[in-house]
Amino acid sequence: MAGNFWQSSHHQQWLLDKQDLIRERKHDLSILSEEEYQKIFIFFSSVIQTLGEQLKLRQQVIATATVYFKRFYARNSLKCIDPLLLAPTCIFLASKVEEFGVISNSRLISTCQTVIKNKFNYAYLQEFPYRTNHILECEFYLLENLDCCLIVYQPYRPLLQLVQDIGHEEQLLTLAWRVVNDSLRTDVSLLYPPYQIAIGCLQIACVILQKDQKAWFAELNVDIEKIQEIARYIINLFELWKTYDEKKEIQGLLSKMPKPKPAQQR
Amino acid sequence: MTAFMMDYEFKLKTQNERVKVEDLFNYEGCKVGRGTYGHVYKGRRKDSSDNRDYALKQIEGTGLSMSACREIALLRELKHSNVINLIRVFLSHNDRKVWLLFDFAEHDLWHIIKFHRAAKANKKPVMVPKGMVKSLLYQILDGIHYLHSNWVLHRDLKPANILVMGEGSERGRVKIADMGFARLFNAPLKPLADLDPVVVTFWYRAPELLLGARHYTKAIDIWAIGCIFAELLTSEPIFHCRQEDIKTSNPYHHDQLDRIFNVMGFPHEKDWEDIKKMPEHPTLLKDFKKSNYVNCSLIKYMDRHKIKPDSKAFHLLQKLLLMDPNKRITSEQAMQDGYFSEEPLPTQDVFAGCPIPYPKREFLTDDDQEEKSEKRQTQQQQQQQTQLPSQQQSQSQQLQSASNNDNHNNPAKRVRLSGQQLPGQVNSQNMPISQQTDFHQQHVMYNNTQQHNFSQRF
Repeated sequence: MAGNFWQSSHHQQWLLDKQDLIRERKHDLSILSEEEYQKIFIFFSSVIQTLGEQLKLRQQVIATATVYFKRFYARNSLKCIDPLLLAPTCIFLASKVEEFGVISNSRLISTCQTVIKNKFNYAYLQEFPYRTNHILECEFYLLENLDCCLIVYQPYRPLLQLVQDIGHEEQLLTLAWRVVNDSLRTDVSLLYPPYQIAIGCLQIACVILQKDQKAWFAELNVDIEKIQEIARYIINLFELWKTYDEKKEIQGLLSKMPKPKPAQQR
Repeated sequence: MTAFMMDYEFKLKTQNERVKVEDLFNYEGCKVGRGTYGHVYKGRRKDSSDNRDYALKQIEGTGLSMSACREIALLRELKHSNVINLIRVFLSHNDRKVWLLFDFAEHDLWHIIKFHRAAKANKKPVMVPKGMVKSLLYQILDGIHYLHSNWVLHRDLKPANILVMGEGSERGRVKIADMGFARLFNAPLKPLADLDPVVVTFWYRAPELLLGARHYTKAIDIWAIGCIFAELLTSEPIFHCRQEDIKTSNPYHHDQLDRIFNVMGFPHEKDWEDIKKMPEHPTLLKDFKKSNYVNCSLIKYMDRHKIKPDSKAFHLLQKLLLMDPNKRITSEQAMQDGYFSEEPLPTQDVFAGCPIPYPKREFLTDDDQEEKSEKRQTQQQQQQQTQLPSQQQSQSQQLQSASNNDNHNNPAKRVRLSGQQLPGQVNSQNMPISQQTDFHQQHVMYNNTQQHNFSQRF
């Protein structure tokens, strides 16, 4: 379905309004500050990214998994499903949809265990607590909450076209590509169509490389205001990173995070 | 810290909101299809908010297989009048079954062709509008053009996957179905051949696939459409071939290639320059002698089936069945072909308002599988008299039986199929070797005794 974004479920159902996001997050934001909330999502984006890399998935699959993750919590509180379970579930589902081939259950679980133990031991002291049956159960809930919308358009393809149009520059593409990866740590994938995100990331890359492409950008037939908004989200992320030490803060944030509650025992 | 995976309140809330397929639909005892993909039931809404029939497909196995994921992901996005419309997905958490809800299509080309073949064998004419084959082909092309322009390849086109709507608002409309194998083909993440070693049913497989092509293309779907078109014109699968080793993961298939060359002739180098680059080209040179096929050509084959080489139908068929995938016509070009601007023009209702001569789908009973083997024993005698090609790859559909039955107006009745003749349901492996005559020869012999020009009536 790479053909028609405008008729896609991504365009018709999953470009959300900023006000929607604020309303849906009301519960979580009564417990966490906006910045803390964002830091938690930055952390789990890294978990998904690391899991995906460990499983040798392509960036496209990782990006789709990350968008599933964000879409689920755009409609639900963090307490509904433990994000540590939802993250690998998103990877599992995305790898099937993007046809990377099914990841075997045991490989997925053992990768989760290794990654949590070796790469995220600053956040989790215990070992990865979930098993295949948890992932499979969670997958049904994920699919329901995504309303079966599984095809996600990503900024990577439009980015390739844009860079080609500028005149093929390896350095620019590499940097802009990384900015797109970074953009997965923000809300832009929930709010803007992927081609706009691609343009926003490209613009940031041009600024960083001090390439003057103003004339080229001016000729693009896009809503410049939207591009600026996207760039703002990403610059805010860079600003936050300057002073944020995840290794120090994340345990505190995870313990503060709203968590699933069992049935009331009585 | 013992992590608790899911919030109880959330679980309860979603459970209460979740609609169960069995609460919404009546379908018990109404199974109409069974195969590797799962089970298909004909259902009606329990609340009678409409009187339409629905198809409920229960996907084989439990949970979300990759093909289930693909089917859901793609159908969720696709919308075209000639592509099956996914209305809803039901996830049954208790038994982990996945159900897909579609509009019900009363007919499919597998049954339609089978009906014509049986009629031909019994020398009974079937009354259908003159332009029906043309209308069918046009709508197949239209649907595939939509898929192809959305970067979706079907990869498993065959008569059983081409549905035709029965009475109702979409009467006589083609619906392309069974997208489980379909995939997006721009920017493939893996070489396609790595994912599904065997995808297209051999009879409808393009020669480049049989010679080891690593990537599926639009042209591969077009070849399959050419095969279906030929089968519609003649009621016989054009590249019929015995296929006992269907499970092989090796794409190279000697007998199937032999069959294609027997119909088409051996490809000249000038007709297909890149054939040299095919992975299995050395094997081809080793196994085949050009001289064995000098008298074979599509013209002769179709002429034997009373399709004149100067007809527009034949010209289009020839362009769909070009051996060189690069020269094969596209769906868009095919839809512009003169065949479709010549009278009779294609119609939206392929039956053009005429009565539909084909029987409705029959209900399967749960023990049909077991009966099948018994029936084989008892019916072999009969079957061998009207020996017809066995389509082993779609045995499930064969169970649906095209023979007439008097229960059409009584869908609640459960039908037993034993005792009925199922002409298509022959497993060649169960037959004595002497009976396994080459289908093609058999057909030529048969045609010699045939007085009518069948295709004119079709």
